[in-house]
Amino acid sequence: MLPWLLRRVAAGIAIVFAVATLTFAAVHLAPGEPFQPPEGRPMNPAAIERLRRGFGLDQPLPVQYMRYLGALAHGELGESFSRRRPVAAMIGNALPNTVLLAGTALLLDFALGIAIGVFQAARVRRRSDVALTNLTLFFYSLPTFWLGLVLLLVFGQWLHWFPVGGITDPVLYDALPLGGKVLDRLRHLALPALTLGLVGAGGTARFQRAALLEALGQDYVRTARAKGLPERAVLVRHALRDALLPVISLLGLALPFLLTGAVLVETVFSWPGLGKLAADAISARDYPVVLGTTLLVSAAVVLGSLVADVITAAADPRIRLSA
Amino acid sequence: MALGILSAVSCSRRGGCSGEYCGTLVIAGTSDLTTLLPPVSDAAIDRDVFDQIFLRLADLAPDGGTIGDAGFVPQLARTWEWTDPLTLVFHLDPRARWQDGPAVTAADVVFTFEAYTDTAIASGDRTALSHIASVTAPDSLTALFRFRDRYPEMFYDAVFHMRILPAHLLANVPRGTWQTAEFGRAPVGDGPYRFVRWTQGQTLELAADSTFFLGRPHLRRVIWRFASDLNAAVTQVVAGEADAIEVLLTPPNIKRAQDAGHLTLYPYAGPTYSFLRFNLRANGDASHPHPIFADPDVRRALVLATDRAQMLQSVFAGNAKIPPGPMTQQWKWLWVPELVIPPFDTAQAAGLLTGRGWRDANGDGIRDRNGRKLSFHLIVPSSSAVRQQYALLLQEQLKAVGVEVLVDPMERATVDERLHAGAFDAALESWQTDPTPTSSVPSIWGLGGPSNFGHYGNATFDRQVAAATSAATPEAAKAAWIAAFGTLAHDAPGIMLFSVDNVAAVDSRVADVRIRPDSWWALLWTWRIPPDKLNERDRVGG
Repeated sequence: MLPWLLRRVAAGIAIVFAVATLTFAAVHLAPGEPFQPPEGRPMNPAAIERLRRGFGLDQPLPVQYMRYLGALAHGELGESFSRRRPVAAMIGNALPNTVLLAGTALLLDFALGIAIGVFQAARVRRRSDVALTNLTLFFYSLPTFWLGLVLLLVFGQWLHWFPVGGITDPVLYDALPLGGKVLDRLRHLALPALTLGLVGAGGTARFQRAALLEALGQDYVRTARAKGLPERAVLVRHALRDALLPVISLLGLALPFLLTGAVLVETVFSWPGLGKLAADAISARDYPVVLGTTLLVSAAVVLGSLVADVITAAADPRIRLSA
Repeated sequence: MALGILSAVSCSRRGGCSGEYCGTLVIAGTSDLTTLLPPVSDAAIDRDVFDQIFLRLADLAPDGGTIGDAGFVPQLARTWEWTDPLTLVFHLDPRARWQDGPAVTAADVVFTFEAYTDTAIASGDRTALSHIASVTAPDSLTALFRFRDRYPEMFYDAVFHMRILPAHLLANVPRGTWQTAEFGRAPVGDGPYRFVRWTQGQTLELAADSTFFLGRPHLRRVIWRFASDLNAAVTQVVAGEADAIEVLLTPPNIKRAQDAGHLTLYPYAGPTYSFLRFNLRANGDASHPHPIFADPDVRRALVLATDRAQMLQSVFAGNAKIPPGPMTQQWKWLWVPELVIPPFDTAQAAGLLTGRGWRDANGDGIRDRNGRKLSFHLIVPSSSAVRQQYALLLQEQLKAVGVEVLVDPMERATVDERLHAGAFDAALESWQTDPTPTSSVPSIWGLGGPSNFGHYGNATFDRQVAAATSAATPEAAKAAWIAAFGTLAHDAPGIMLFSVDNVAAVDSRVADVRIRPDSWWALLWTWRIPPDKLNERDRVGG
């Protein structure tokens, strides 16, 4: 297993390096310039030129690239053009918020998706299965930003059940006791996590249903039934264990989905996470922040994929990590 | 659930703040801040916060003019005098203090001028200060400004662009590092509010300085809450999670605020105007004239073919005006009957186009000349829903006179790049102006102006603008501006489309709300929440 793991880590590093290089080229070649004045304000070319010089943008692109790699090798991500603070600190502030959102959404996604998928497989072709098939297809087809806007409108603006944005109440939070603080965070988390989680759960449920149905047709399930085991035991102890393996491999794929979905959801709910940070940075042509967030996300996706493979192998003795 | 949280607060803090000096105002902002070191940033939201933390020597009165000093009220300077036509002396208020203790002195004023004019800092206000030769401090409470030349807005330039900085905290910070200086993330000022904290991407909190020498602010806390965009910010205010927003902009947003029930709307003169700019040079090649827009008759025809009143009604439902020149509503003194808006006259427009040889030879509904269709691309930032609406309306209206408009929505950064490179036919632009036309008009329409992206040039217009900026009296300046805008209207380098009436929404429990068109929150420290209208959120932390 160790040689496999080392090969995968080396490949992962190469992928992250390639992403960093491609992103560097893409952001510098994309139309638009950093340091433009706010929209509708007169520009001062001399001031912009001084800023460009100050941040090293007057150097040829290969020189900038080498400097970027050099800084990266020392663990430095540079200073934000638009927020004038270290990129690492900005990412450090935003990352926990995205981890909280994506983690909760992932939990919702898999808990709901697996439960619904199992429920459907156990009642295959009955009315409840057909209804849930349509419902999960509906959620799976929804654009995350649209679902977010609808939830925000209904449960935030109309019913006032949940806040319409942000991560905590800016006025009350500090004065709340610990329980109140937790409750306040959960209220703010509910709608964005539901938005991401529901869309993901739609896909997971369909996947889980199909995997479980396939497992239920296997010989060992027939044997289990022939031995007289109760249907519940057949489903949970025999078929589900096998049917969970492909779903576990979905974990690795869910991470990129959650992180890209977070860009839109964080924007809709003004959630100060990595996605919103990246979206704002792209608009402002804030190269160091775009590069920093891309690097982090690509590393997370590579790592997620690796972890999913390891978990799958651990759960399935038929898989040997030697290829 | 929300009630549960409020109950938790009540239980944890019974009593809380009460009386005249309580109240928390949450402002819904549409973006995070850049830095809180004034010379370094020109972003609107940063300037809003500067207004609370840093003082000027004097500030514009709510309806003050920029010519002479009559339109200004004292801030750090208690009085001022002209000792000769080129020398302005300010006498500082001895009560003024930095929030960390020391007195504000004339040395701070000298230091501030040096900082704003230092090339290492790259301040956007440096050019505006170029008329000032020196600033000296004869004593600790006297600052002496020497000007290079005499002009009507000397006082405005001396006081409006600079917010006085604490020399004792910044003198040792290398100027080359001010863009990213720590001070910009935790500033110490001399204004009505002191910095409390700034949580990246979430909130900025200020607390009233109860010892503020011009009077204790009534609102105890002011919190900016950063939303993703205007719609998200309006939603926060409508949902009661924020108390104020300075601009609602569109009729749907205004209706949402009206329907909310707990908000009061405050209309005020807007500082922006929007227009379609023609590129008089070929798209991407400034060495050649534009095949369509180099001809002033064609440009005039397009102005005549545009029903601006109808567009204004469709998009703004009356909450905007058609500017007769490159002007915003905050320059009230320039909205005079002498400046006439060209009529909507498609017959005259068609006649002009036919007269210049543009006819529909092949019967496809689009005019052409020598094999070239009368067709152009119009670039518009995709971030502006209003301008995209206008682009589509223009497309429809100009089609009626045989002109094809190809609308190209694109990201704002791309629009900027295309404008700077001259790589466009026409663009829908919006400009936010200063309290005076002096800075923006030459920059946007003057020959060689850094924002004159359409390459418009007319020596007569430039002379008239120069006469306006150097006029000795407000009346003479006004006459010169009217003449200049008349020239511009005749040359038609663009179609002036709308100048918005801004509408702010503020929670109805807030009293004494006054909004200055050029600095929305500058008078915030005079707003208050009457004791009988304080709610649980106002009392928290008292």
